[in-house]
Amino acid sequence: MIKASDVAKGTFILINNQPYICVEREYVNPGKGSAFVRLKLKNIKTGSVLRQTNKVQDNLEDVSVEFKEVQYLYADAENFVFMDTKTYEQFSIPIEGEKEKRDYLKDGENYQVVFWEQTPIDIRLPTKMVFTVTEAEKAERGDTVSGATKVVTCETGLKVKVPLFIKTGDRILVNTETGEYQERVNS
Amino acid sequence: MREYFSGRGYLAVDTPVLCPFLIPEPAIEVFQTRYVGPGGQSRDLWLAPSPELWMKRLLGSGSGNIFQVSRSFRNGDFGSPLHNPEFRLLEWYTVESGYLESIGVLEGLFDRLLSAGSSGGWASSRELSPPFDRLTMQEAFERFAGIDLERCQSAESMVSAGRRTGVRMPTECTWEEAFHVVFLTSVEPALPRDRPLVLLDYPALIPTTARRRPGTPWAERWELYVGGVEIANCYTEETDQQALGALLREEQERKKACRVHHRIDSGLATVFPPGFPPVSGTALGVDRLEMVFFGEESLEGVIFFGFSGIVPRQSRTS
Repeated sequence: MIKASDVAKGTFILINNQPYICVEREYVNPGKGSAFVRLKLKNIKTGSVLRQTNKVQDNLEDVSVEFKEVQYLYADAENFVFMDTKTYEQFSIPIEGEKEKRDYLKDGENYQVVFWEQTPIDIRLPTKMVFTVTEAEKAERGDTVSGATKVVTCETGLKVKVPLFIKTGDRILVNTETGEYQERVNS
Repeated sequence: MREYFSGRGYLAVDTPVLCPFLIPEPAIEVFQTRYVGPGGQSRDLWLAPSPELWMKRLLGSGSGNIFQVSRSFRNGDFGSPLHNPEFRLLEWYTVESGYLESIGVLEGLFDRLLSAGSSGGWASSRELSPPFDRLTMQEAFERFAGIDLERCQSAESMVSAGRRTGVRMPTECTWEEAFHVVFLTSVEPALPRDRPLVLLDYPALIPTTARRRPGTPWAERWELYVGGVEIANCYTEETDQQALGALLREEQERKKACRVHHRIDSGLATVFPPGFPPVSGTALGVDRLEMVFFGEESLEGVIFFGFSGIVPRQSRTS
């Protein structure tokens, strides 16, 4: 069991024997009543979204899941293909449902994947990742306004808003939760 | 803000934050601290979650209209972008006035702040200027949840109305919990966000110090929402000593479920002498107001040294 107040983005819970992942969580205290947690949950099997409100002290049924270290290999028309780094076993995860992670998957890079009853259900990205800029416009002379930005493209197709001094070939650190540029990485 | 209220004849007051007792508010966890005397004698004290207990004493003793901006403290942290345990509260009380008149006072304040800020650069893209839209709780439930709230006066009827409209309802709950589950799931997220909205006439079944509108199931209470965020809360205050005494006894009972216990303010029930004129009280979150005026999505955008920055989550374990 897990207390509703402990449910966070990424927590798995079981509702009517269906596994859900929490995608949004908001603490609400109407001030003159009990405190509540408002949850947006995604059904892992069907992708359907469920909104529900729980008292903070409610107990919810948690799901026991397993985290595995995996290597990303490639994507075909419908699936991301990974390899378990311990057993070298390959498996795939449907792109549909994980589309927003596509540009963060680098061939040959290691990730964590969450398994529930032997089924891969969620790809966990490191919070910060390094990408190489493959397309950047040259900064114009005179673009000296501090805080000015431009959009560059990285090797996976990821587009990031960066400061003007970033050029093609630079390596940059990106926050995978917000998609924001963090800093230029040397060498 | 201060100029606005002083200009309208409200007396600026300043009341204690360190309190020897508090009003029992079961929905609020408080902060406890300790006074240590030179001889080692000590005494428990609590930080005020609002200045209400002192301001009502001033009103009862004949202060007339009063206001203050005070530091207030509420315990319990859930990492919400809309809560900081320490925050600024604007609270004002108007004598010989009801809750509806206070909407006009707040609209006047918005007018004043918007014209003062037009040169200072309010950054909100929202329409903030009065008059505010008005919607009763009954209308909001009908429109956004498809529920006739007036007919849901028992926990069972509230739970079954929620279930009928597709809300996942708890199996065992009080009326107030069932109401909030429906309100927070179906109604509040659907409230119009394009203009400030006054949500009026809350169910009297939610226990507060708001006066009940005679012969109706509604309390004389409203809340102001801006962009879906609750900014202010207003009542026509209950002044009847018997009604206040009964409410406080009930709250004291429910307060037992809180984690931080405090000494109870026993004087509040009799703070208003019999025959006291109607009085309206409004509390407004100043940090939240700044947040919406500056177009920010989180209190961190307007508070220097916000709680989650100065007390990182890892260091909060017991």
